[in-house]
This record gives sequence, structure tokens and C-alpha cells, in this order.
Amino acid sequence: MSLITEVVVPRYGIAWYPWAVQYFFLIALSYCSLWLAAPGLIFGKKTWMPTARVALLACVTTTLVAPVALLADLHQPLRFWHFYGYPTPWSWMSIGSFLLPMYLGAVVLLAWLTWRPALKARSYEADGWFSRIAGWLAWGNWQAPRALIVLIGLAALVASLGIMIYTGFEVAVLKGRPLWHTNWLPPMFVTTGLIGACGMALVLNRVTGLRHPETNRQLMAIMAIACVVTGFIALTWFLDGVNSVSGSVAAALASIDESPAWRSTAIEGSLAGVLLAVLAFVMRRSAARRKAMGWVIGLLALHVAWMFRWVVLMNVQTIARNTAGFNDYYIDFGSYGLLGIIGIFGLWLTAILLIDLFVPWREATENPRSNSVITPEMRTRSLSTSASSPVSTPASHEGATSHG
Amino acid sequence: MDHIRRSLLGQLARLSAGAALVPLSSVASAGINDQPARREGDPSKRYGMLIDLRQCIGCQACTVSCHIENDVPMGNFRTVVSQFEVQQQDTDNMATFMLPRLCNHCENPPCVPVCPVQATFQRQDGIVVVDSDRCVGCAYCVNACPYDARFINEKTQTADKCTFCAHRLEAGLLPACVESCVGGARVIGDMRDPDSEISRLIDKHRDELMVLQPEMNTLPQVFYLGMDERFTTKPEAEPGIWDILGTNDKELGYEFDH
Repeated sequence: MSLITEVVVPRYGIAWYPWAVQYFFLIALSYCSLWLAAPGLIFGKKTWMPTARVALLACVTTTLVAPVALLADLHQPLRFWHFYGYPTPWSWMSIGSFLLPMYLGAVVLLAWLTWRPALKARSYEADGWFSRIAGWLAWGNWQAPRALIVLIGLAALVASLGIMIYTGFEVAVLKGRPLWHTNWLPPMFVTTGLIGACGMALVLNRVTGLRHPETNRQLMAIMAIACVVTGFIALTWFLDGVNSVSGSVAAALASIDESPAWRSTAIEGSLAGVLLAVLAFVMRRSAARRKAMGWVIGLLALHVAWMFRWVVLMNVQTIARNTAGFNDYYIDFGSYGLLGIIGIFGLWLTAILLIDLFVPWREATENPRSNSVITPEMRTRSLSTSASSPVSTPASHEGATSHG
Repeated sequence: MDHIRRSLLGQLARLSAGAALVPLSSVASAGINDQPARREGDPSKRYGMLIDLRQCIGCQACTVSCHIENDVPMGNFRTVVSQFEVQQQDTDNMATFMLPRLCNHCENPPCVPVCPVQATFQRQDGIVVVDSDRCVGCAYCVNACPYDARFINEKTQTADKCTFCAHRLEAGLLPACVESCVGGARVIGDMRDPDSEISRLIDKHRDELMVLQPEMNTLPQVFYLGMDERFTTKPEAEPGIWDILGTNDKELGYEFDH
């Protein structure tokens, strides 16, 4: 036996900053929220429409903000056009750079078509700037056929599968980081993303004042299933690799063995995950508990989904690959650290508030004709109602803050 | 028509008809994360390095000369010498072990196919380089390299790495680290030339040579002579101290508490 000391230990900083965590978090929430919106919005299931409304709001806002975080993680953000100037079909990141705008376009188009009838309706109300902006946003006096919404929705779903696959394998192909180099990582991103998306929809269902009981029930059921599948995948990952000398599990175990920080993170992460699963199962059973505790579980779910990405993307980068010890990482206060994290959440909140202010998203239905107020008779009726009752301002701009 | 001529014509037909499809087929045949075609550099050469660890005294002259030659920011390294103290626990005997590290210019470099804009590529002479005018600084390659050979240069905000001093090789000079090595431990050369010093040394010591992390299947082209197998992967070592001062006397490194 011999004792080895590495006298000179160079420090290797992390290469992907917390921006990457924000991107992977938001994009997973985005595509999973789209799936939550799909039954009501795309496949026309009436009972899923209230869930689809909040899920669509979550999907659009996260889809808009996620690419900002991705761009910020580049050290040369102004060179982003190089992705399109030099397409590289053998690089997952390049493939993603083409998928992302397609997905974003499809989601924004889907949301716009879904919200248009309600926007049109608002444009006929005498509500000053809100009506005027709603008129501009609705853009013209026409109705999109239901088939078009279904078609755009299906295109968005296909693109979301592409996003799901590329974000997973972009990380999993890196054999330079053994902990990432496992095929179990991409499905973990998906299931924890679904947990987070359910959580976000639960929180939105509460803070927007909708408080739809059916939405709580559906989301908790999905979340409970996602928790079970996540646990199953984690267990399979562990059993699959526990006997191998090198690889993902061995790297994880070595890190937990060597680093107190990793130990505490592993304990905290497991506890939060198990707590979430137990709570989701217990609360799911009673309507009163779902109503009271839905948003708390939602916040915990968001925490689990975010922490999973933080551990996977940030903590793994602190594992020294060739030198002794760990490359300690402390969150910087500047834009590469805390400011970046808070800034992205702030941007997301801004997106939610702007949409809530200018788009009557609560009135969205799966059928574009059902609440379209574009005939002249209906227009007069709408005007007279708003004139006769001064409190007829749509619920959307008294919403978010008062019910928070 | 005899057989040879017929097959020759067949080959020619395939060439001419296929020529139009070459760009398409190169895309189709390049599976995701496969190695793209090499470009630039002299196809008749394959550069490699052999480091005779028995000659290395750990003076870090290579580290310093590389920093000066390539204007590497303080705290980052294109090459560095890992220095180990090995204590035999039963006899208390002490020994030191020096391990110069640099880019391995792998035959199967994991950093190249990940690059989303083809800014990092392998030249036909085997040298892996970065086009810093094209690099977007996504740091994907930094994470892909198992050897920590890459970093984001804070001055250029792009990926940076050892280039075997390609600019010096092209001018008929040796890389800075080779030039400054006091023990003559580093030998660079064209491995396709059977008379080059590196080819002769590889022939002579073929069975003793080792590379870093062979299990990664990256096929490194930096070969170590006099290597201890325990050090080919991350050594089970206690961290020592690292503190270097920047121009403003600020500490660039940190101290482990153990």
C-alpha cells in the first residue's frame, strides 16, 4: 500500500454555468406542459380543458424564456448565427439548434390560434388599451378551422419529442463525464420534467385563482405516476451499474463516498423525492386535501425537478477527472451565477404577467368557434353588456396578484 | 472485355455517378456523434508525442514556456505537470512521480464530433485545433474531453487547447514545451515517417508504452514511457496545495482543507 499526495492541483472550473440548469429546467417544463395541454387542447377532451389552459400558459412562457437561458450560456452569444451558418448534423447540439426554433414556432402558433377567439372577443369590449392590444394580437377578422389547430398541435407534439430526445442525449453522449454517460439519464430528464410540469400547473392553478378541482385531481394523478416511474428508472440505473467497476453509477458512488457535499446532496435529493411521492399519493385521495395542498406539492415538485438538474449539470462538473479532490464550486453573485438564476426566473415571471395582462387565456377553449364573438350582433351585445355593467372586465387582469 | 477492364469501368462509373451524391452520402453516413472528415494539415504526416517520464523532473518549464508562447490566461493550462508524492506505507519510503499532461490529439477525439459549428476539428496530420473565429463558446467540447485538456479562454471567450504548437511546427520549430524541456523528456514527430525519432522510440519501447485512460477508447497519441499504471486514470490521491498569484497579487487558486 502506498499513500499518494498530489502536490500541485490545478483547478478546473465548470464549463456550463447555472444558465444551463435554467435551460434544461425550463425546456423540460415546456415540452411536458405541452403534453399536459394536449388531451384538452389538441385531442378535444372536454374534461381536460381546464388543465390545458394552465398547462398552455406554462408551456408558452417556459418556451419563450428557455432559449434566452441557452443563449446566455454561450460565451459568444452574438455568434449564435454560426449554428445556422455551419449546420453540423452529427452534433446533438447542432440538431437541437434546428429543432428549438421549430418547436418554439409551433408552440407560439398553437397558443396564438387557441387564444385568438378570446382576444377577438376582448377587442370588442370597451376596455381601452386592453381591447386595442387584444385586437392587434388577434390580427384580422377570420377564424382558424379546428383542423388547423389540431395540425399545429400535432406538429408541436412531434417537435417536443425531438426536443425531449436531443436534450437527453446531448448530455448522455459525453463519455468525458462518466456520470452523464448513461442511457438512463434521458428518461430521467423526461420523468422529472413531467413532475415539474405538473407542479408548475398546480401552482398556476392556485395563484391565478382558477382553483379548478378537476385540474388538481388530474395533475396529482399524473405526478404520482411520474414519481413511480422516476423511482423505477433510478433503481434500474443503480442496479444496472452497481456491479460495474467504472461508469455512471460507479462515478456517483465514488463521489458520494469521497465528498461530504455530495453526501448531503444525495440525502437531500432522495428525501425530497420520496417526500414528494408520498405526499402526491396521500393528497391525491381527497378533494379537500388536493385543494388545500395542491400548490404546496406543486412547489415541492418544482424543487425536485430543478434540483435534479442542478445536481446533474452543476455538481457533476465539480468532479475532478484527472486530479485529486473536487473542484469546489461556489455560486457566483454575478450573471454567471445567482443573478443569472434569478434573472431567468424574473424573465419567466414577466412573461407570465404580460400574457396574463394582455391575453384572456382563461377563456381559451379547444373549439375556436365556441366563444368567437365576431358577428356584428354579438358585437353589439358584448358592447352593451360591458357598458351596462362596470365590473365586467375579464377575470384575467384582476387575477394573478390578488389570488396569490 | 476482360475482367480487370470491366471492373475498372465499373469503378469509374461508380465514381462518376456517385460524385453527385458524395455530399449527401457524407451527411447520411455521418451518424450522430461520429467522427467527421478531417480537414487541413498535411495528410502525409501524423504527429504524436512520446514523453519519457524517467527524464521528467517536474520543473514546469514546459508549463511556463507554453503560457508565454501561447498567451494562455493565468490559471488555465494547455500543458501542466502533475506532481505526486508517493509514500510506501510499510517502509515509509518516499518517491515522487511527475506526469506531464496535455491534449492527447486522440485518434478518436470525443471533443470533435460534439462541436455544433465545426469550429473544433482534427487536421489530416492528426492535430486537433479550434477555429476561434468560428467557436461560439458553448463549452460542449470542454465537457466532452476526459483529459481536462480544454478550457474556455477568458480573453477570447472561446475554447482553447494545446495545438502541439502547430504554428511552430509549420515554421520548422519544435513546440515550446519540447524546446524548453530540460530533461529532453518530450519527443514530438511524424509517426508516419519510419525514420523519425518518435517512430524509432515507439518501435523500441512498444510494449512499455502507456496512454491515459485507455478504457475511454479515445486512442490517445501522447505515449508515456516509464509510466506507472495507477496513474493512467484518476489517481487515488490526497489533494495538496495550489496557490498561484495573478498580476494583482490576488490568489488564483485555492487551498484544500483536509
